[in-house]
Amino acid sequence: MATMMGPDESNKFGVGVAKRLGADEAILMTGISNERMARFANSSVTVTKNVKESGQVVYLAKGGRRIIGSSSNPERASLERFIELLYKSMMSLPKDEGYVPLPKTGHTYRPKPSHDKKLESAEGLLADFVEEAIGAAESAGARRTAGSLEAGVISHHMMSSTGTFGSDTSASILLNIRAFTDKDASGHGLSCSSTVRGFHPAVAGERAGAHSKMMRNARQLDGEGKTYSVLMSPTVASNLLGMVGEFASAFSVEAGTSYLVDKMGKRVASEAFELTDVGKGDGCLSARTFDDEGQPTQRTKVVESGVLKSYLHNLSTAKRFKAKSTGNAGLIEPGPWNMEIGAGDSTYEEMVKEIKHGLVLTSNWYTRFKNYRTGEFSTVPRDGIYLVESGEVKAPIKGIRVSDSVERMTSSIRLLSKEREWVQWWEVDTPTLCPWVLVDGATVTKAYGESPPQGS
Amino acid sequence: MLLEEYKDLADYCVAEARRLGAEYAEARVHGGKGTGFLLKNGEPQPSMIDDSFGIAARVIVGGAMGFGATNLLSRQKVKDLTVTTVKMAKSSAPLVKERITMGDSKTATRKLRVAEKEPVEGADPNWLKSLLLEIDRSVVKLEAEAGGVRIPNRIMVASAGVEEKYVVTSDGSKVESRVPRFHYFGILTALKGGEAAQRMIQQGETGGLEIVKRIRLLELVQEEAQTLVEVLGEAEKSPTGIMDVVLSPELSGIAAHESVGHPQEADRILGREGAQAGESYLSKDSLGMKVGSEEAYVSDDPTLAHSNGYCPVDDEGVVSKKRQLLVGGKITEFLQNRSTSSLLGVKNNGSSRSAGFDREPIIRMSNTFVEPGDYATTEELIKEVRDGIYLKSFTEWNIDDKRLNQRYTGLEAYRIKDGETTALVRAPVLEITTPALWGSVKGRSKRLEFEAANCGKGDPMQGIPVWTGGPDTLLAGVRIVGGS
Repeated sequence: MATMMGPDESNKFGVGVAKRLGADEAILMTGISNERMARFANSSVTVTKNVKESGQVVYLAKGGRRIIGSSSNPERASLERFIELLYKSMMSLPKDEGYVPLPKTGHTYRPKPSHDKKLESAEGLLADFVEEAIGAAESAGARRTAGSLEAGVISHHMMSSTGTFGSDTSASILLNIRAFTDKDASGHGLSCSSTVRGFHPAVAGERAGAHSKMMRNARQLDGEGKTYSVLMSPTVASNLLGMVGEFASAFSVEAGTSYLVDKMGKRVASEAFELTDVGKGDGCLSARTFDDEGQPTQRTKVVESGVLKSYLHNLSTAKRFKAKSTGNAGLIEPGPWNMEIGAGDSTYEEMVKEIKHGLVLTSNWYTRFKNYRTGEFSTVPRDGIYLVESGEVKAPIKGIRVSDSVERMTSSIRLLSKEREWVQWWEVDTPTLCPWVLVDGATVTKAYGESPPQGS
Repeated sequence: MLLEEYKDLADYCVAEARRLGAEYAEARVHGGKGTGFLLKNGEPQPSMIDDSFGIAARVIVGGAMGFGATNLLSRQKVKDLTVTTVKMAKSSAPLVKERITMGDSKTATRKLRVAEKEPVEGADPNWLKSLLLEIDRSVVKLEAEAGGVRIPNRIMVASAGVEEKYVVTSDGSKVESRVPRFHYFGILTALKGGEAAQRMIQQGETGGLEIVKRIRLLELVQEEAQTLVEVLGEAEKSPTGIMDVVLSPELSGIAAHESVGHPQEADRILGREGAQAGESYLSKDSLGMKVGSEEAYVSDDPTLAHSNGYCPVDDEGVVSKKRQLLVGGKITEFLQNRSTSSLLGVKNNGSSRSAGFDREPIIRMSNTFVEPGDYATTEELIKEVRDGIYLKSFTEWNIDDKRLNQRYTGLEAYRIKDGETTALVRAPVLEITTPALWGSVKGRSKRLEFEAANCGKGDPMQGIPVWTGGPDTLLAGVRIVGGS
């Protein structure tokens, strides 16, 4: 009979196997996740999901060689065979120039569990929350809705041959709801929280429903390829401006897939723009106490008063950049945990009043880069899009595309709102705490050709 | 083989779900093993070895669908999974307004094994590393005669792996498959002065390591690097305005995928992906609707040998077949799975796939392409153009979520004058509606080529291997706008 092991036992066993084989260094990290989801479309639940997974990431080093493996089989004999395979493969490789030894002294992480335990068995809550969100959207004018509600808990357990030992747990509940009054009139709402208490499905539903109503009879923009001030909701700004966090990965900088190459200490945004990576803190949807190399996570100011202050590092990139690890490993590639874009001092209404000729964008999708080295991209706004003239919202708009560069946008930020929201959904992988952001001079285009009439 | 060891768990899962009251039950043991290697600017990164296996259960109870998955492969854990999946489906039934049924698709019993001359299983990371180093050296070598263009940034990833599945359904399907794959992904960044050009390269097929030679990977990446050098060194400002445009197989393929394949996925049409991947400009009544010219033909074929999207039996245990999506500009078929075909009262064409054991099977494209035409060569098609653009490769692209408003930015693109390509032009942009694009198709060449891609859909997101392809396609009188 197969012998399943708990995460700490599995890690200890794995490190023992690696040592027995002769590895200089070993890291075993076991991740355990328990996720529940309900999806709905046409205001009807289409599927409920429950997924329980346990996976090990194994890092081995020997004589300057390195190898990484991931396995989903927690059974003792399988893990042993897997580590033996890794070790054998590693020993066939030459030395790795990028190898950096783990610090000789390990860390112990025993954070007091602070995640919301209600999210450990959330299936009983899903139906009520879905009903609440759909009801709020329909009350606000939606004819139908589609969305997903996901509640999950994930824990990471680590042990290394250098004495690092620890675990942490993070939880989140995410609602993404879209409301429709016809095919061209839709609205979008999100509620993303690390606790049930901070989760507001009715607010998200009401927002989606209200936009779907306001978007009826949306029209095309006049003219072509013009520039506009754009007031981006937290959903849009976290996608377009939150990407600065991905570009700040030192790996991306080295790989030339970042416009932040050679920009350290230089101005990359307007003075109002602040961006911080946060490992663990209040409200973080993806909280981590330690990174994949066992280093403590931290708050890292990436951009301060518009100036690039830090890349995000693991041990390996930090050595090459003559910096310290920022606790953002990725064994190969460092990356952000949770991003915070600094708040401003405006209200939404004040920001709209400041727009002479512009657009309010409430959601977007399909952002694609022409060139990561220059940060040029285009994205397709959807759901609530509104033309603003002389400080007043005039008309719903459809069929546009924003074509710009991240650096030009961050450098043209005029105002940010006081209020911020957590965003994580299909288009925003890294949870981001984000305000409304007003940017000037964005290029807006539309497609050539007629579209067929849209029914409902 | 691990799959053999766990097949009985899948059979047990289906039996247990039926015992618990499921009208339909399906279980899938699904996993794979792979080796990958990453080279960054010529420097090897740690090799990566992946071994992932688990089981998925899907049930219909009282018209509600439940999905569950775990990699904890004991009988008790699978029993717990099945109980939870049935229970969650049952408790969601009051919120199901549109009862889900799986219909009566023809079941399949089959063992599929894709042949490989040089096995990918246990591929030596050293071999992958040597391959990438050779490609990298060939790119760097170009700098010597590049007129000041440098290619300092080079990301290259090679991976070789095997995907194994065992799908069993309560109505009698039992399908076992073993599909080996080789995949290459790269990003090359070329610089000259203050300017940068970047190319993403993706290649992938099913089969053994012989794929590397079959697709001429080394030469292909080298050619792409040479193109970047030429784009930075020579490209002129692009003309703009209304003109004829010839799309290469790469451009034909991405357009076929984005604005024909996606909007003809029946689950989108019925609204199931509304909150994430979006819906469709089409409705369930759009079969027979004319959206293109007499020359617009697009198909999706999961049975193509070596293809990246090879899937002759789908993940609901239904035999797949070639789908004719657009015939002479008319919409002739949607991509269907069990539930959509049942709801729409049409035959299921077996389009359901899942990216892993922890993902539900949903409607996916396989290999979507513009059908080849009558023009013998690219040159012959280009001869038809007096003043226009030949879009050979693209960088940025996107499309709205109803699949009507799309944009393709050219990377390697040429001015056409009097039936011949002349100068390279910089970043011409084709931003066009779906009916305008397919309505302007005037001719197609005979050469049919494919590109590998990873198509994203679903929630949680599922990236799935596909091919996009086609011949050269002539669009008459469309608008080009200038990029930067």
